[in-house]
Amino acid sequence: MDDYIENENAYPDDEYIYNETFIGEDGEEYYYEEPLISLFDVVKEYDKGTVKALNGINLDIFEGEFVSIIGPSGSGKSTLLNMLGALDKPTRGKIYIDGIDLVKEKDLSEFRQEKIGFVFQLHNLIPNLSVFDNVQIPLLPTGMSNKEMKEKASEIIRAVGLEDKKKQRPNKLSGGQRQRVAIARALVNNPSIILADEPTGSLDSKTGEMILNLLMEMHERYNVTLIIVTHDNGVAALAERTIKIKDGQVIEDKYNY
Amino acid sequence: MSIIGIAIGITTIVALGLITTGMEDSVQTSLNDVGAEITVSNSSSVSTNTGMIDSEIVEEMKNRTGVIDAAGSLTVTEMNMDRLKSGSSDSRNSFATTVVGLAPEKLYMMGIKNIDGKVYENGSRDAIVGAEYAELNNVSRGDDITLQGKEFNVSGIFETGSPFVDSGIYVPLDTLQDITDKDGVSRILVKTGEDVNDSAISEKIEEDYENFTTLTSEEISSIANDVLGILDTATLAVSALAIIVGAIGIINTMVMAVYERTKEIGVLKSVGWKSRKILTMILGETLVLTTLSGIIGSIFGILIPEVGLRLFDVTDFALGYSPKTFILAFGITIIVGIIGGIYPAYKASKLAPTEALRYE
Repeated sequence: MDDYIENENAYPDDEYIYNETFIGEDGEEYYYEEPLISLFDVVKEYDKGTVKALNGINLDIFEGEFVSIIGPSGSGKSTLLNMLGALDKPTRGKIYIDGIDLVKEKDLSEFRQEKIGFVFQLHNLIPNLSVFDNVQIPLLPTGMSNKEMKEKASEIIRAVGLEDKKKQRPNKLSGGQRQRVAIARALVNNPSIILADEPTGSLDSKTGEMILNLLMEMHERYNVTLIIVTHDNGVAALAERTIKIKDGQVIEDKYNY
Repeated sequence: MSIIGIAIGITTIVALGLITTGMEDSVQTSLNDVGAEITVSNSSSVSTNTGMIDSEIVEEMKNRTGVIDAAGSLTVTEMNMDRLKSGSSDSRNSFATTVVGLAPEKLYMMGIKNIDGKVYENGSRDAIVGAEYAELNNVSRGDDITLQGKEFNVSGIFETGSPFVDSGIYVPLDTLQDITDKDGVSRILVKTGEDVNDSAISEKIEEDYENFTTLTSEEISSIANDVLGILDTATLAVSALAIIVGAIGIINTMVMAVYERTKEIGVLKSVGWKSRKILTMILGETLVLTTLSGIIGSIFGILIPEVGLRLFDVTDFALGYSPKTFILAFGITIIVGIIGGIYPAYKASKLAPTEALRYE
């Protein structure tokens, strides 16, 4: 992985040969891991092209990474996250996730259901459903048996520490508890990628820290790829890799350790 | 909230449906009248009190071909000045009562068969009164009533089902002729045999007697049908109005209810629900919601007019309960509810999840 970053010139011109060792132009042996997520020249325009939220993003993210995307508000970081979660389609460019062409694919619901867990800034829980039902929602279209769904939802609610709040409605919970429900919902279908849009944005610092720890714990325990959008440098620094975005373009991409 | 909105729509449809059906029923029973097939009156004067027919003509009528029986009847109007003065609020408390003189053996020609008590005898000062009259005037068997300034004893109370007949008083023809100082009769009721042409007989009577006008029961029923036809159109208009008002209410409620859930639909899409599954869910919820509202709305649709009738003390009008009203109300609610629910749900499910999630 490090080789890729340090030796960009060693990248093959025409096509990528992933997961195979080969000899580069400099005579050294290289191994390219296939990225989980690849973006090529992704552009997203709004209002008939007058607003460019994303302006030519090229990015590879690998399986199991913990990446933070940082930038000022309006820089396009949330738009980028929405593209990765297949919640929106780019105006131009290509996005591949786990071999699926998100631009060409017509019905992305299955992709979202199998691969993605989304944690929104405002948690987006359904107010008239209990914690348990909210967490169970992503499992309903899977054709799983009721018993299995119940077990999975209970297990993940236990993992985020809300076992005693199972039957409560979201409006009875604190901000931090609601965000934990949202994380449980994002994790319940064993996604390979968790996308979190300002997950601590609406929380006080102590609760925010708790939520981040929980996300990191889940990332480690289930080896999910964790991508967090934030405007907080402190939060961004916790990640293994930080991608800085400004005016819809990547201006910095670095590994923190 | 949605349930209330939809239930109000259904209440409107059911309540107006019951009232209009009730109106039709009530007019229909009013017009289902009279045992005699032909009624003969003297057209030389419009008023039945002055256009008299000689009593001998009754016998002539009886001997005509096709006629099995004929009876003369004398109708006078008994004014009740007290009631006029007191200005009773009850619309049925008319201050004029029809008093009919008819021989006791001919009462069947007015459809009077079931009498609680006994029939008067010729020449007696006995009277029988209609059930409606008795109820309104608080008259029971054995009471004395004053007619044309003379005392009569109520010997029986009858009920035919026709409000016209049941609100009247019947006395012996000869007694009434005597006290009103009249020789003739105001109408002749003619009963024809089976399988004879009533219209032909009726026409022949009009031909033979210059001043006489006849009315056959067929003509009466055709008039009744005309009235019912007009009423039918009127009720259809009222029902259509109720349906439109109700349907708009239901559609509006459903559209708003689902529109408010655009964000929820966005959440469902973002966690991997297919549009079809979302639509199926909304459809199922709509069915439950409309059925529940249908039941609640129907209950109120019955309760409101029923309580209204009691509150205003209306007893001569009953709501017309017909399954048609309820089937119509439920059918419209479900169809309109589905349209109102599915349309915004379809629109929301076609949005990109980010768009739907942005909805507040």
